[in-house]
Amino acid sequence: MFDNQPADNDRFSPRAQDWQLKAPYDWRTALAILVIAIVLAWSGERMEIPKMLGLSSEAILSTIGLEEESQVGKGLGRMLSELFPFVIESRQEISRLSDFDRNSLPLFTRIETAEVTTFRINSDTLKAEPQIETVEYLVHPFGYLLNVLGKMVETFEIAIWATIIAVIVSIPLAILGARNYTPNSLTYTASRGIVSFLRSMPELIVAMFLVLGFGFGAIAGYLALSLHGMGFLGKFYAEDIEASDTKPQEALRALGASKLRVLRAGVLPQVAPSYVAYTLYVLDRNVRMAAVIGLVGAGGIGQELKGRYDTFEYGHVGTILLAIFLTVLALDQISARLRARLIG
Amino acid sequence: MPTAAQIQSHSTSYAESTHLVFNNICKKFPDGASALEGVSATINKGEFCVILGQSGSGKSTLLRAINGLTVLSSGELILDSAPLTPSSLRGIRRRVAMVHQHFNLVERASVATNVLIGAVAEVSMWRAMLGWYPTHLRNRACQVIERVGLDESHLKRRASTLSGGQQQRVGIARALILSPEIILADEPVASLDPAISREILNLIRTAAREQNATVLCSLHQIDLAREYADRIIGLRKGRIIFDGPAANFDAKAEAALYGKNHIPTSTNETAKPEHV
Repeated sequence: MFDNQPADNDRFSPRAQDWQLKAPYDWRTALAILVIAIVLAWSGERMEIPKMLGLSSEAILSTIGLEEESQVGKGLGRMLSELFPFVIESRQEISRLSDFDRNSLPLFTRIETAEVTTFRINSDTLKAEPQIETVEYLVHPFGYLLNVLGKMVETFEIAIWATIIAVIVSIPLAILGARNYTPNSLTYTASRGIVSFLRSMPELIVAMFLVLGFGFGAIAGYLALSLHGMGFLGKFYAEDIEASDTKPQEALRALGASKLRVLRAGVLPQVAPSYVAYTLYVLDRNVRMAAVIGLVGAGGIGQELKGRYDTFEYGHVGTILLAIFLTVLALDQISARLRARLIG
Repeated sequence: MPTAAQIQSHSTSYAESTHLVFNNICKKFPDGASALEGVSATINKGEFCVILGQSGSGKSTLLRAINGLTVLSSGELILDSAPLTPSSLRGIRRRVAMVHQHFNLVERASVATNVLIGAVAEVSMWRAMLGWYPTHLRNRACQVIERVGLDESHLKRRASTLSGGQQQRVGIARALILSPEIILADEPVASLDPAISREILNLIRTAAREQNATVLCSLHQIDLAREYADRIIGLRKGRIIFDGPAANFDAKAEAALYGKNHIPTSTNETAKPEHV
């Protein structure tokens, strides 16, 4: 093996002063930077970046009082100012309530009266005349908050079921889509194709289609989210199976274990931490997206949000946005703890 | 643990019955490289047989042919007078266990789990999927873990937290859980230091003796082979060039096996390599 090798290595290798150690940047780096700069400049023009910067700085300046008024401020201002105070009470017209008993009000509720001016056409003069009516409301001080919390629970349920369905379907998809475990190239291609397709479909559009099929409500919501979740989990689960350490798998094959048993005993323990991380990410994403797909009528808090937004009830919108934010924040904390516990 | 002398006297008492026969086996890889070129040998029951040879001489291929990790190109392998075929492989694998060079443990799993998965092919599918092994296997796992010199405190520890020697002990326990007839050890001590290597080889040998298991062990340390083997098989370029009792493996055999660049073991510690 070593017979033909020269004993004296120095004869062939140059001295250190003749070695070459290149600088990390050269003309190619400069060229690449130039090309990127030209492309960004071209695209920036199309995307109206200068206008965006101009309007934003105007809005910021007017906020801190250095400029009179801004276009963005005018547009957003009305809504933003009406987000506060958040509406947490609910009021119902007593005249519209059936079997209302004035002597035994529901817990925490009170009666408020308000004078409402309405214009009615006088049939004699054919003129609109103001009429003042006294309307009584049953006010529940936390009524709307409870309503939003109920919707938020429903949203969370949508997210949970979407995640459960996505995980259950992703596991077989991932096994078929892992090069080292798929039965043949046809199943591999089919699985990878399905997963890519599911990932490329936007949830909002899928939810719109599913609402046509399943009607308004939660079913369309969690199905749409789970389809997208499969597209994500199917890809990442499969890639982790492919990348897992082969040594324990070989040991199990030597014992005569079938593919499924090798996956369970030799691969699953290795990939479990990243699977937990991916799944928690999908759950987190599903909670946020469940709020969005409600916009097309797929249940949850988004449906409520859309209704309040369309009727300009921005105080209610504020409460909903706060609820979504707090839920995502809480989920973040919980999933961080769960992850540390399962992975650590 | 029995002393070396006890083992020596003990070994002669084994009945010399044929356990495993290699009948002119060949292995050619798809790229044309030939790993085994007509290997024939008869291994007796309970024998501790060390296979020596340079890297690429076919040691691993020979071992992996026995549990079907390598499919032979030609020739016959006979275990207890039944030829080994793809259809009989399933039954045979249960009786053949393997100890690996890199331990091949599931590093994130506990010691107990790593030992129990030695029986993963034997339990029903739902038990395998749940990782819920029956009581008798869990008891057996504890026994073999104790046998390899670990204790209860190790059961729950992750394999990755153990030292190399301890990991190989777990690997041996995994091999022992189904009380195999044959233990294949593929360079079991190649990644361990000399003192630990002796402990591990001693463990494999005594544990195998206890259950009258045959051991085929590939090594590249000649001194260890001389120390532990009942019999040495020397492979060079896929052919057997030495086969006999360890006592007969002398300097001449060693030179024939490793070629002219070989550094004799007797001067291993002090010799300067001729070519670098």
